[in-house]
Amino acid sequence: MKHTSPTEFEPPRSASAPRTAAIVIYATLALLAVTIPQSVVNWLADMNGNPVEDSALRGAEVMRNLSQRAGVATVYQRARDIFIAISGVEPD
Amino acid sequence: MLFPTIEFAVFFAVVFPVTWLLNAHNTWKKVFLVAASYYFYAAWRPEFTLLLLVSSVFNYGAALLIDHFKYRAQRLTVLWIAVAANLGLLGYFKYYNFFAASLMNAFGAIGVKVDIGFIEVALPIAISFLTFHALSYIIDVYRRVIKPTTSLVDIMFYIGFFPHLIAGPIVRANKFLAQTVGPRDPANIRLGQSVFLILGGLFKKVIVANYLSTGFVDGVFRDPTANSSLDLIFGMYGYALVIYCDFSAYTDIAIGVANLLGYEFPQNFNYPYRAVSVQDFWRRWHMSLSSWLRDYLYIPLGGSKFGTWATYRNIMITMALGGLWHGASWAFLIWGCLHGTALVIERMLGITGDHTAAKRGRLATALGWLVTTQFVCLAWVFFRAPSTDAWLGYFATMFSGRNWSTSVTPFVAFIFALGALSHILPPRWFAALEQRYDEAPLLVKVLVPFVVIYLISVAAPAGIAPFIYFQF
Repeated sequence: MKHTSPTEFEPPRSASAPRTAAIVIYATLALLAVTIPQSVVNWLADMNGNPVEDSALRGAEVMRNLSQRAGVATVYQRARDIFIAISGVEPD
Repeated sequence: MLFPTIEFAVFFAVVFPVTWLLNAHNTWKKVFLVAASYYFYAAWRPEFTLLLLVSSVFNYGAALLIDHFKYRAQRLTVLWIAVAANLGLLGYFKYYNFFAASLMNAFGAIGVKVDIGFIEVALPIAISFLTFHALSYIIDVYRRVIKPTTSLVDIMFYIGFFPHLIAGPIVRANKFLAQTVGPRDPANIRLGQSVFLILGGLFKKVIVANYLSTGFVDGVFRDPTANSSLDLIFGMYGYALVIYCDFSAYTDIAIGVANLLGYEFPQNFNYPYRAVSVQDFWRRWHMSLSSWLRDYLYIPLGGSKFGTWATYRNIMITMALGGLWHGASWAFLIWGCLHGTALVIERMLGITGDHTAAKRGRLATALGWLVTTQFVCLAWVFFRAPSTDAWLGYFATMFSGRNWSTSVTPFVAFIFALGALSHILPPRWFAALEQRYDEAPLLVKVLVPFVVIYLISVAAPAGIAPFIYFQF
């Protein structure tokens, strides 16, 4: 994939670009954390376990439970199961 | 810390807003980014952050000293000491064991037993790239391309800035330091371009490079003689895609991440497998390295100024050292020499300069592409094979033509096709996508990265291997 040369296309210049970028970054991460909460739980569970990380882990587990109850997290698991069945790659 | 991880996402989610909040206070912003970069590096081995610090302080002082002296001989002496110190550090960590083993083997071959011993120390990650950055700085100061900075923070920032620290792209000192003098213009953020570079990089690394490696290429290279000729041919092309998708993914993400923080990095890849000559390939592959080698090695050696044979010699020296830079082994040296030889042959045949179809004709261009692609892919075998026996066995089995069965699964074939798409899709499509994205409402701007990363996560392998160029 090519890093497009600035001469090829000049995107709109805006002084509020960092704000827009921040919204995109945080909203994307938040949506991913809600829809794939198990990955956040796994990541935090692998850490050493200081009080801050323990609190974060408990928060992530609460979010995972809520996501599962709402059926959001299961969509990801189903999609992954379908991908594994089609591709033939090793299950996790 | 790897780019495609939650750890990096959290790291960047902290670094991004703090960087822009500190933008009006440029020095504090740079201090913060240096601290963040050292934290990023320390995630691998904290003790080697000392190496970053020592390299920055040393080259900061060396540049000031070069600038201090009026006479060329004095300036040159300091430059040589500084270059020797930088290369000495690189040589100690990266090449000592290789040269010690080669020397002992050579003496052993003539019946003399020599034991100079080996060192047992981990190769500091990114040492090659930080050496390139340091050399670029001191040589540019010597050439008076730039004035040395009086700010140590600027040099620590230039050498250690986390997006390019581990595997490039190699950013020239004059280009980067010019960006550190004041606050960055927020309007410089090209959101569409950065988002697509990052998403494209994640796709190339997590899906194409990982599955092609673990699903096929690694197995083929582990024991080449146990594979069919056809699988070895596929393995050769497969590795060409793996190394492109892996390395270009890293630098694409690095360029995108740096731009989100307000900094510009140079382009590093431009459809390298569309090259129609080996010279054209090196204008498209790892462009920041090839231009670095041209400006800091080939031209100082004399370039093409001193006649035909001196030019050939300079090309060979440049490419041999370029090969050896990738790693301490004879295979990398052979790989570099092969490319050097190909470049010399092209010069002998007059295949230089304008490579466009309009100049050379369609048939010659197509033939040039075919020959170049086969050569580049064959040479990658030296690059990937773990030992001399391995590449000897690889070529012997591949050219024996003894078995034409294949173990390529439909899934691996599909990944092959996805990897090939990275070279088939026209660049204007990506430019159009970026334009559409920049003009889209905020909701779409959020949904695009979310959906792409979600789908990549659905299809991602369980673990992500480090980027290939981390070892260099």
